Amino acid sequence: MIRFSNVSKSYDKEPILKNLTMSVERGELAFITGPSGAGKSTLLKLIYCSERPDEGQITVADQVASKMKQRLIPRYRRQIGVVFQDFKLLNNKTVYDNIALALRIHQMNSKAIRSQVINVLKEVNMTHKAKEYPPCLSGGEQQRVVVARAMVTKPMILLADEPTGNLDPENEKSIMHLFRQINTMGTTVLIATHNESLYSGSGRRVLIIKDKYIDKEIMG
Amino acid sequence: MKSIPYYLQTALKNLWIEKWINLLTVLSISIGMLILCTFSVITLNLDSVLKQWSKGFGMVVYINEQASKEDEENLKALFMADKDFLEIKYISKEEALTGVRKALGDDAIIIDEIKENPLPSSFELKLQSKLLVPEYVKSKAAKMKQMAGVAEVQYGEQWLSSLNKISETMQKGAIVLGLAIFIAVTFITYSTIKIFFHRRKEEVETLKLLGATKMFIKFPYLLEGLFIGTLGGIISAATIYSAYSFVTLRIGEFLPSLNFSIAVLPVQAYIIIPFAGAFMSLIGSYIAIGRIKY
Repeated sequence: MIRFSNVSKSYDKEPILKNLTMSVERGELAFITGPSGAGKSTLLKLIYCSERPDEGQITVADQVASKMKQRLIPRYRRQIGVVFQDFKLLNNKTVYDNIALALRIHQMNSKAIRSQVINVLKEVNMTHKAKEYPPCLSGGEQQRVVVARAMVTKPMILLADEPTGNLDPENEKSIMHLFRQINTMGTTVLIATHNESLYSGSGRRVLIIKDKYIDKEIMG
Repeated sequence: MKSIPYYLQTALKNLWIEKWINLLTVLSISIGMLILCTFSVITLNLDSVLKQWSKGFGMVVYINEQASKEDEENLKALFMADKDFLEIKYISKEEALTGVRKALGDDAIIIDEIKENPLPSSFELKLQSKLLVPEYVKSKAAKMKQMAGVAEVQYGEQWLSSLNKISETMQKGAIVLGLAIFIAVTFITYSTIKIFFHRRKEEVETLKLLGATKMFIKFPYLLEGLFIGTLGGIISAATIYSAYSFVTLRIGEFLPSLNFSIAVLPVQAYIIIPFAGAFMSLIGSYIAIGRIKY
């Protein structure tokens, strides 16, 4: 589903990833880990075309993401759900509208949007906060909304960048539960985290970035 | 199509959130367009005055003393066949003298002292108003002077030239002012939308990351510009109409005998003005958003 072949990326001549090769299979739930600044977020950005590699090839669902044309990027991104580290929720929109926005971008009609948003709000246990604005929510609640927004479109791939960064163990568990749930529905899930407790004992593949490439793979 | 309610809702919501800056923009646009409308009304009225004046414009062709009756008949036939002329009037030597007598009134005794009628017979010709271009009239007069039996051709050369200059200045002024207002309105909307777009930069980034198309991102801003321009146009059209109604009412009240009539913008103009405002603002908004890169 996701394939990196000898991918290199640098910022201001400072290499972040070097000759990185890896793959994530369809329907898999995998983790990417490594110390801060190892390039985990960059790797995810390369997948959703927010960054372009300097060298190498990235293939996502048989599409060459590394050479994706500008005009094809919106449609490509609509196949991917992203849980951003900094949430990227719109503060002037309610929880409901933030989630609905993802479906509006998918050109869905209002009726379908309403039913799908209600369903996803139930799944993330946020129905009671539907009319609230993001600044009124706790970190854990905002994280749930971001997950809801990422999963409401039923994407092929779900990418999560440090999804439990600021959460307490209780919220951490519940977010991970959501990811497993999404994965069981067939979505390929790739989680970038430096939080060992998230993947240890998960029985999932963990790709460790060290010295700018995938150093080793372990089972969590 | 499915997104249109969302675009409308977003645009209206944003207009309301930024209501003060939007109000200022609308007022600026309406003032700009009002200046243009006022100038158009003034131009229209001046033009109608000029048209009235030009109705009285004529050329006088004096017949040579030696010209025969046949020559005069030929000239008349030629003038009649010429479609440039609206009216042709022959004035015989006797009629000319009678005219002078009338004009002199009590001083007409001077004429009686002259034994022979010194006045030539002539043709008074009225040209079509659309042909009142100095160069054309001049060449026409020169051609007529070459005709057999013609002694002299006279017309208000200076007057025609002034009339033409006024008309030309008005036309140039309208073009310059129209262009200036076009740039001003476009720039006003450009600035406003640019500010909005900059303020919502993070929102735009999020939309891009969620897979929104360029059109999905741009449309609400274009609609905002469209609403602002249309509203500015409506206000200026309403103001100019009210001002016209007020002025004509007042003139009617104070000077009922004058039967004064002001040339007014045609009804179509009141529809065109909001559309023009919308069009100019749309261009401004489009430029303000610029290119969206992923």
